[in-house]
Amino acid sequence: MASAPSKLYADDVSLLVVLLDTNPFFWSTSALPFSKFLSHVLAFLNSILVLNQLNEVVVIGTGYASCKYLYNSSSYSNHGLEDGRMPALCTRLLKNLEEFVIGDEQSIKEDPKGGTMSSLLSGSLSMALCYIQKVFRSGSLHPQPRILCLQGSPDGPEQYVAIMNAIFSAQRSMVPIDSCYIGSHNSAFLQQASYITGGVYLKPQQMDGLFQYLSTVFGTDLHSRTFLQLPKSVGVDFRASCFCHKKTIDMGYVCSVCLSIFCKHHKKCSTCGSVFGETPVELDSVSKLKRKTPE
Amino acid sequence: MPQVKIIAKNFMDMVASLPAMKLDQLYENAFICEAILRSLPPLAKKFVLQMLYIDGPVSAKSMEEWVLPDGVSKYKVAVDRLIQLRVFIETADRKRETTYRLNPTFQANLQKLLIHGEVLAREPMPSNITVRLPSLEDLEAYALDQWECFLLQLINSGQAEKPSNISSSVMKVFQKGLLSQRDKEAPRLTESGFQFLLMETNAQLWYIIREYISNAEERGVDPADLISFLLELSFHVTGEAYDIDTLSDEQRYAIKDLADLGLVKLQQGRKESWFIPTKLATNLSMSLADSSSRKLGFVVVETNFRMYAYSTSKLHCEILRLFSRIEYQLPNLIVGAITKESLYNAFKNGITAEQIVTFLQQNAHPRVAERIPSVPENVTDQIRLWESDLNRVDITPAHFYDEFPSREVFEAACDYAREWNGLLWEDSKNLRLVVKADIHTHMREHLRRQK
Repeated sequence: MASAPSKLYADDVSLLVVLLDTNPFFWSTSALPFSKFLSHVLAFLNSILVLNQLNEVVVIGTGYASCKYLYNSSSYSNHGLEDGRMPALCTRLLKNLEEFVIGDEQSIKEDPKGGTMSSLLSGSLSMALCYIQKVFRSGSLHPQPRILCLQGSPDGPEQYVAIMNAIFSAQRSMVPIDSCYIGSHNSAFLQQASYITGGVYLKPQQMDGLFQYLSTVFGTDLHSRTFLQLPKSVGVDFRASCFCHKKTIDMGYVCSVCLSIFCKHHKKCSTCGSVFGETPVELDSVSKLKRKTPE
Repeated sequence: MPQVKIIAKNFMDMVASLPAMKLDQLYENAFICEAILRSLPPLAKKFVLQMLYIDGPVSAKSMEEWVLPDGVSKYKVAVDRLIQLRVFIETADRKRETTYRLNPTFQANLQKLLIHGEVLAREPMPSNITVRLPSLEDLEAYALDQWECFLLQLINSGQAEKPSNISSSVMKVFQKGLLSQRDKEAPRLTESGFQFLLMETNAQLWYIIREYISNAEERGVDPADLISFLLELSFHVTGEAYDIDTLSDEQRYAIKDLADLGLVKLQQGRKESWFIPTKLATNLSMSLADSSSRKLGFVVVETNFRMYAYSTSKLHCEILRLFSRIEYQLPNLIVGAITKESLYNAFKNGITAEQIVTFLQQNAHPRVAERIPSVPENVTDQIRLWESDLNRVDITPAHFYDEFPSREVFEAACDYAREWNGLLWEDSKNLRLVVKADIHTHMREHLRRQK
């Protein structure tokens, strides 16, 4: 449901939904300590709130096995314009964050996922989109929403379908997904997310200056983006994951009915149940080359 | 007739016009830094944020590289504004290149703001002292009431129900330009006075505040102090009570005037007295272009030129009366008709069709506001047509010449008038012509030379 332009505030009022990666597996190996990262992010969130009194910030924690709303600048606004004051932001956010991390740890113990070390990005993306939909549908005026993923953990191929669905729904509602990836390798998921939704993907080189990266690139409201040079994506990894083993593949089989992707030949499509024909003699000759091109 | 236009832009234009020294002084106050930052155009905000932790100067050239070719004009506007407000300080380095850096005081204050967060301008009073605080709705109603009462008093000194204690000299200042008083006649609204009434509340408020500030010096108050107090006030929390004893004497004096305007509500407890800022005060530092302060409209215009205004306000009735014929009034409804006569009356008073149309559109009742157009097209078109009807005849002072001795002299005179771009009419059959009055002397010279 695209928003009608008349329902928007003038110019630069923005709603920023930040997805904060709290995956303990990542932070224990990261060169940048979590506390330092957090202080950069808090200053950044504060600067967004300072820029315009109507700006809103929502923080969602992306844990290993769960996600949660950590902070919402508008819900503490029983004081009208004084919402999102730093003391409130700091204390509320940190308190909720602590509770969340402890709860997340609990769920890891109860339900170990095994090998992967990825965080639940699909969950937090969906939560962000739900929140934005709620904003779209309520009230007469709403700020321009955008999502910022602060992600460090590697992609979880098993979330491929869910993440892609979230990306397409963000695209439909014209919500750009910005991503700031602080892990060691590039994230194919986030590259695609930003590319498809018209957001910015950036992998900062110098972690000490994270605030500068955040304020320069991700602090830009959607209105100003039309006038500014922002980092352009170079070489987006468009590879898809197969539905059967959740592996990232270059080549594979595609169901001609529902477009599900498989790395091996199956007799029957596991998604829509269509029955496939003969086993192909050779992979290269029969299988369709799977290249997902952006729309 | 000189067109008096009320410039109702915003606070920041006024701040920008202060001398450099005063501005630097103002930036010592963190609230002003924040208010200034928020008032900037989006691109300028962006630059400030980007430069916040850069200590050295940045060359204009490298700044320009941040901008796409499409945005160059926006970039220029943003940088001009920043320099005007002395947020950016322009210097030239050894290689004669222009460089910019942030105003150090401004920079330090903003850095502090980002790290430590906003502090409250003033601690609200504990709730055990201030019993019975008005609810936000009550407060807003109070503010609007007070404001309307003030406006009524402004336009018609006799009509106000309860006289406010704004000194008559200050009131005179406000009325200057809006009312004209001839001897022994009741004061009449001037052209700009009518325009003023049709403006949005925020724009009106700003106009009054501007007058109030520019009059400050005469009252022995430093305008910079007043500006900083007003900006600070806008960072108070709506609906909270603040101890009046924390104010300086001058501020206490000012706050009484502000209470009359509806910016604050004064209340008294057993010992202490306190003030409660209303929405009007907290909106002060916002840019007025923002439609976020839009309030609910009340006017429904039908295609048959009838107008239904759901309002109990006397002021609304007065405003509608400016350009329509009020037919009857029910307790919560004013019914009127937009007629040719009523509009001619309005045009005579200097109100333009555009202003009337915008007023109707801005104040459209929620039920019709969602429709596009909110005011029927035939009505808006007709309003504009009636206005252009009045402008059909253009009066130009002119001189009439006839009895030319020969056709040659007549032709030469015509050409001469054409050269001066002053020929209005010629009749070559009867050798007559009309020229503009301002070239009459040249024309006479010319004709004399011909003889």
